[in-house]
Amino acid sequence: MSSASSPAPSNATSADATPPLLDIRDLRLDFMKDGRALRAVDGVSLRLGAGEALCLVGESGCGKSVTALSIARLVPSPPARYAGGEIRVNGSDVLKMSPRELRAIRGGVVSYIFQEPGSSLNPVFRVGAQILESLKLHRPEAANEEEVLRLLRLVGIPAPESRLRDYPHQLSGGMQQRIMIAMALASHPRLLVADEPTTALDVTIQAQIIELLRELRRQIQMSLLLITHNLGIVGDLADRVAVMYAGQIVELAPSHTLLSRPLHPYTRALMNSVPKLKGQVGRLSAIPGNVPNLGSFPEGCRFHPRCPQARPDCSTQSTQLLEVEPSHWVRCPYWST
Amino acid sequence: MWTFTVKRLLHLIPILLGVSLLTFLLMSLTPGDYFTELAQNPQISPQKLAELRAKAHLDRPWYVRYGYWLSNAVRLDFGYSIAYKIQASELIFSRLWNTFLLSLSASVLAWSIAVPLGIWAAVHKDSVADRACSLIAFAGLSIPEVLLALLALMFAASTHWFPVGGAQGATFDLLTPWEQFCDRAHHLVLPTLVLAASELAGIMRQMRSNLLDTLRAEFVTTARAKGLPEGWVIYKHAVRNAINPLLTMFGYSLAGLLSGAFIVENVMSWPGLGRLTMESLSKKDHELVVASVVMATALLVIGNFVADLLLAWSDPRIRLK
Amino acid sequence: MSSLPPQPSTPLSPWGLFWKRLRRHRTAVAGGILLIFLYGVSLLAGFVSPYRYDHLDKERSFHSPTPVRFSGFWPAVERFRKVSDPATYEAVAGDLKPLKFLVEGEDYTLFGLLHLKRHLFGTGDPDYPVYLLGADQFGRDILSRVLYGSQVSLSIGIIGITLSFSLGMLIGGISGYVGGTTDTLTMRACELIMSIPGLYLIMALRSVFPSSLSSTQVYLLIIVILSFIRWASSARVIRGMALSLRERQYVLAAKSLGQTPLRIVVRHILPGTFSYVIVAATLSIPYYILGEVVLSYLNVGIQEPEASWGLMLNAAQNYQYLQDYPWLLAPGGAIFVTVLAFNFLGDGLRDAADAKAG
Repeated sequence: MSSASSPAPSNATSADATPPLLDIRDLRLDFMKDGRALRAVDGVSLRLGAGEALCLVGESGCGKSVTALSIARLVPSPPARYAGGEIRVNGSDVLKMSPRELRAIRGGVVSYIFQEPGSSLNPVFRVGAQILESLKLHRPEAANEEEVLRLLRLVGIPAPESRLRDYPHQLSGGMQQRIMIAMALASHPRLLVADEPTTALDVTIQAQIIELLRELRRQIQMSLLLITHNLGIVGDLADRVAVMYAGQIVELAPSHTLLSRPLHPYTRALMNSVPKLKGQVGRLSAIPGNVPNLGSFPEGCRFHPRCPQARPDCSTQSTQLLEVEPSHWVRCPYWST
Repeated sequence: MWTFTVKRLLHLIPILLGVSLLTFLLMSLTPGDYFTELAQNPQISPQKLAELRAKAHLDRPWYVRYGYWLSNAVRLDFGYSIAYKIQASELIFSRLWNTFLLSLSASVLAWSIAVPLGIWAAVHKDSVADRACSLIAFAGLSIPEVLLALLALMFAASTHWFPVGGAQGATFDLLTPWEQFCDRAHHLVLPTLVLAASELAGIMRQMRSNLLDTLRAEFVTTARAKGLPEGWVIYKHAVRNAINPLLTMFGYSLAGLLSGAFIVENVMSWPGLGRLTMESLSKKDHELVVASVVMATALLVIGNFVADLLLAWSDPRIRLK
Repeated sequence: MSSLPPQPSTPLSPWGLFWKRLRRHRTAVAGGILLIFLYGVSLLAGFVSPYRYDHLDKERSFHSPTPVRFSGFWPAVERFRKVSDPATYEAVAGDLKPLKFLVEGEDYTLFGLLHLKRHLFGTGDPDYPVYLLGADQFGRDILSRVLYGSQVSLSIGIIGITLSFSLGMLIGGISGYVGGTTDTLTMRACELIMSIPGLYLIMALRSVFPSSLSSTQVYLLIIVILSFIRWASSARVIRGMALSLRERQYVLAAKSLGQTPLRIVVRHILPGTFSYVIVAATLSIPYYILGEVVLSYLNVGIQEPEASWGLMLNAAQNYQYLQDYPWLLAPGGAIFVTVLAFNFLGDGLRDAADAKAG
């Protein structure tokens, strides 16, 4: 299944001089269930340069989170099993690393924030202590209260001195997510992976967190991998967008290109399901059907049962991710002919 | 925290009142009293019998007797035991102490083995040793305490390593304080082992499943994502959280512990409240039964209270609510 | 993390899924099969046991177990002679009597209506008794008494959970659905019952009734007492479930149709608690078995000459006997095996009902 060719990096750095910060090549991952291997990620290739922001979009259950967690090999295994491919961080393959090397990557190079800040923070430790723990691991020279306070100020927490000794449950969801971000930044990572960081928050708080991420990206030279099922926030933040469906990348393009001219029917369907603030008032349409379950992906193009433009040969023809115009990659039978 | 403590303490009063009332009512409904057997004796005249009953207030209606009993009991004075011919309080408190001692030592033993074992089994989930632990735990859960206590007696009788039942040797009063202590400890070993063995399995299984649940929690992923070594992730982040539901379980398991102690006391002749209850029931000293039941209940509800305090101390979400 | 855990490819009904998961649980299946066997034997106790529970043989007090030997390929038992008084026996080497199957013996009643004489096995010769598990003080066959005793222990749990869970479901369901003062009072009552350590309350309740009751009366009394205490904990849980279920759309719909509260509780609320009830009930059967054992052991349960496992253990409380005749503990083994089987089955049911444990 190594059909996917490697999409070129968007920035000018050539691949042979310095290795890109993140280079995922043909990643395949299975979940073992009742002795059966269910493929959850199927031949995903992605590159992310230093300082670049990439957005991974798709419905729930299409393999975005698993791909993102794989970067620091955080998917529990078992039940997960890597079936092939490489995840190169600064040139070395995460999948071949010893636990010690892996720990240096975790936090040191890649930091994470998750969907539910409430359950992602340990409920029995004070938030200050949890941030301090990160500092002790990766920047022991800065493991002090002043640095924690600086981080809290950086993520926009008012009166950080009084928040230091709070427990997570004493803070609002938005504040908890800011704590998570402070904790993730404490180790000075080169890549921040934000896995649906706003899904669990109120709408106004969502906007604040997105604004914070944008502001932080401006202040700190840091790459960002943002995972979302909401195309609405993509344009604001990302240089490039990758759309995932059923364990595969189906479209990859610079964000303005993708938003203005989506080529894959799934991307278009996703965009039609997002309410727009300005522009024409069109009909908001849901995508018919559901994401196929693991282990029962359709033959041919995996989107064809739900695709409004499906042709008879879509169910048989195998699909490849092709560069149909410069930097715009699509996996669709229509574009491969 | 203080209001929490005080509120929980005040909560104990209606429960103890209710339990004493319920038990007193039950005892007043039991057929016969302490003097029923004497009535069979032709040597004792009915007048004498009536006199004796009046002296023990047994001629009054039960609620009047309850009033008397309660007004004394709040001062921890349980009156005079007609069956034992001594002050009931003295008897009750020595038995209460024995039950407490047995339950405490069994709990300490059971918890200090079960918690590490449960953690170990969860960390090595599905290994051969984990499966073996789980099978042994099932056996421990299923073996009746009566049988275990009988086996312990059999062991003591055939090896002579431990005394066969009882709480102190025949020559206890002649011993030096240190020898007395050793003698008590020697008598305590087997009942403690029996009671702990039946407690251990449940705690171990609970600890194992709590930790497995916690290891699936998102903050564990966060801890790993920080780059913490796996040992820290488990022992600092996960175990610390998996302990909390165990403290709740400690409160619930106390009732089972005291019932277990009841059995062990009666099979192994350990002079605790359970044995006193059975003795005073057969002697029909009903007020002594009430006192025993109320004291056992007090032990349970105070134990629950301590478990609540521990939980509040351990879990900030409860402490700071 | 949204794609965890992987979902099965073929959709099954909740019950189908439940069965599938249960069948995969090896220990649960083993427990279930063992229980079917135990209940079968228990129903046929009169036929399977070589003697009646009250068959006395004072000459063979504490007779040691008679191991099955083979005379050729046919199973046989040896004759034992008394070496000393009291009660030491020694096998007479070579003096074998073959076992007969479907042998005629003492009469018994099966299922309360069939009067029969044939037993599964025996020697048919009173000089060659078959005591596979030995005999007690009165020369009664322990195996036969264990089998007869199983009728008490195996039925007491089933009747007990039926009683206590019906009570618990009804009271808990109404309490949770109606709320208000009813709820407060019920819950205070539950709390009161649950705050007395179980056996203390059981003994206090038991003493209200005369000690000289027939075994049938005691049997019923034990069930009533144990259930009276047990309903409280199930009522509390079911009340909690009823509290959340009463906000469901279908309950509100039934309410708006003007159905009576009792009908809503029985038809709409309680079905939602079934999976909890099945698991909790299976896991609480051992409580009844052990409750009867303790009461009978302490002489306030089933009375002689009837057989019950607890009563039989009572005979073992003299540690001198215990040392010399350890086979008196056989009923303890029976309790252990039965409770173990229920725990295995209950554990499997819980895992199968709890999708998370998958």
